[in-house]
Amino acid sequence: MAAVSTFRASMLSTVFSKTVRDQRKALGWWALGLAGTVLMYSAFWPTIRDNASQFNKYIDKMPEAFRNLLAGANYGTPAGYLQSELFSFLAPILFLVYAIGAGSRAIAGEEEAGSLDLLLSAPVPRRRVLLDKFWAMVAATFGLTVVMWATVVALGPLFELRPSIANFTAACFSAFLLGAAFGSVALAVGCATGSKGLAVGAPSGIALVTFIVNMLGPSVSWLKPWRLLSPFYYYAGHEPVLHGLEPLHAIVLFAISAAALAAALVTFERRDLAA
Amino acid sequence: MADVILAEHLTKSYGKQRGVIDLSFAVKPGEVFGYLGPNGAGKTTTIRTALDFIRPTSGRVAVFGLDSQRDSVEIHRRIGYLPGELALYERLTGAEFLQHFAALRRGVEPAYVHELAERFDADLSARIRSLSHGNKQKVALVQAFMHRPELLVLDEPTTGLDPIVQQEFHRLVEEVRTEGRTVFLSSHVMPEVEHLCDRVAIIREGRLVAVEDVGDMKAKAVRTLDIHFAKPVAADAFAGLPGVREVAAQGDVLHLTVAGPLDAIVKAAAGYEVVDLDSHEPSLEDIFLAFYGKEEA
Repeated sequence: MAAVSTFRASMLSTVFSKTVRDQRKALGWWALGLAGTVLMYSAFWPTIRDNASQFNKYIDKMPEAFRNLLAGANYGTPAGYLQSELFSFLAPILFLVYAIGAGSRAIAGEEEAGSLDLLLSAPVPRRRVLLDKFWAMVAATFGLTVVMWATVVALGPLFELRPSIANFTAACFSAFLLGAAFGSVALAVGCATGSKGLAVGAPSGIALVTFIVNMLGPSVSWLKPWRLLSPFYYYAGHEPVLHGLEPLHAIVLFAISAAALAAALVTFERRDLAA
Repeated sequence: MADVILAEHLTKSYGKQRGVIDLSFAVKPGEVFGYLGPNGAGKTTTIRTALDFIRPTSGRVAVFGLDSQRDSVEIHRRIGYLPGELALYERLTGAEFLQHFAALRRGVEPAYVHELAERFDADLSARIRSLSHGNKQKVALVQAFMHRPELLVLDEPTTGLDPIVQQEFHRLVEEVRTEGRTVFLSSHVMPEVEHLCDRVAIIREGRLVAVEDVGDMKAKAVRTLDIHFAKPVAADAFAGLPGVREVAAQGDVLHLTVAGPLDAIVKAAAGYEVVDLDSHEPSLEDIFLAFYGKEEA
């Protein structure tokens, strides 16, 4: 009962900190898994590098679509290796899964659980609850990004994996922006509908389609213009791990988050909440 | 002083589902106002509209004279709320849960939280997930009362509480009334409303059937009375008495349906040898019938 007698500042003092607190265990496991996977890939690096010519031949023999996916992959350089092993598939998938989960839980999850009424009976505007939960999702996704970044920067050198820090940072940041964008879309769908299923399903479906569009875009002529509609194009089309961040592309990803948040604010403010 | 809650022609419809239709009533400062109706009648819909979780289709609700939509945050600051469908943060302990809500509300005295928890015998150290429904209800009640709000909005507050805790709850409502604060309490149980409330609104199928003083309502309520005589007595002897709606004889027993005071009946029965007399509390359905009877007249 000591906890009640003091009401000291704690992780329970705001909706933001409580949302982060709710996630602390899950986030711990995510961080551990992410760091472990990245470490494993780092440990493979010396072997891969020494046999780079063979691996590069594999890439050349792949169907064009996969080569597009691995654009910039080159098993002879740290950046190329990270592009193929980390940024083509693993990082975007993990960040998307986490951010979409967090975004869908934020409002729709709490609404389906039935606790949203009580939360909103406190003198906290809907807008405030939504923004707190949005920032909690963004902060947690950013935290995972930092874990990935720190693992490579701190432990990569143990395995002679030393990418350009600036470009590697740019690629990590781009992955963070991609995760936050899809997390924001999940949040917005949840705010507009109150359905957690839709809030997970809609952005996941969009991610799948736009991922494929971006992958096939360069080789299928009629798809090419559509590539510009794919968030994955803005995430990796400019190969940040090789060339650094393309500001315009980063702005597009940022704008997706901003637009989704605006839609979430408008729809959540106007809607009847489910009992 | 202005009405604490004022509903004016409040209608909320959800497609084909029934909501509430054209409700108008006023809750006065310092009263305990009962909101009585069977499950599904629209009690929770009314409350959720007043608290701005859902928006009226037409009409309006004002709380403390403030608009339920425009001023919802200010209204929430001054109310304590117990939801009808309990869904608390299952992974927190009771203490953590209260700490969170105290932080969102501010101005909560820890000593008073302790006092309430002790009075309700609420276990604050266990995770909410592990508590029974009744024990969760206690934590939620502490949450509703802990900041001494001007208005308590309690949706079916005694569901799942054991009788001792119910009594403590009744005492607390008494205290709130004594301090001049206001309570709006929904229930589907007549005796509870009768015991606690000054006035009662009766809602059925989304419509307000009556808003009555509890005393007046009891006087109007129809109840059944069984009189067991030593020898069979003709039903006719009682049929014409004031308040008697129906009489049926069954051997030595007369079954009467009565509205209002029993005086005439008791006096008539005194002319015979009475073995036993049994009066049944009116059920909610009986009370509705009484009001529908009035409407038809």
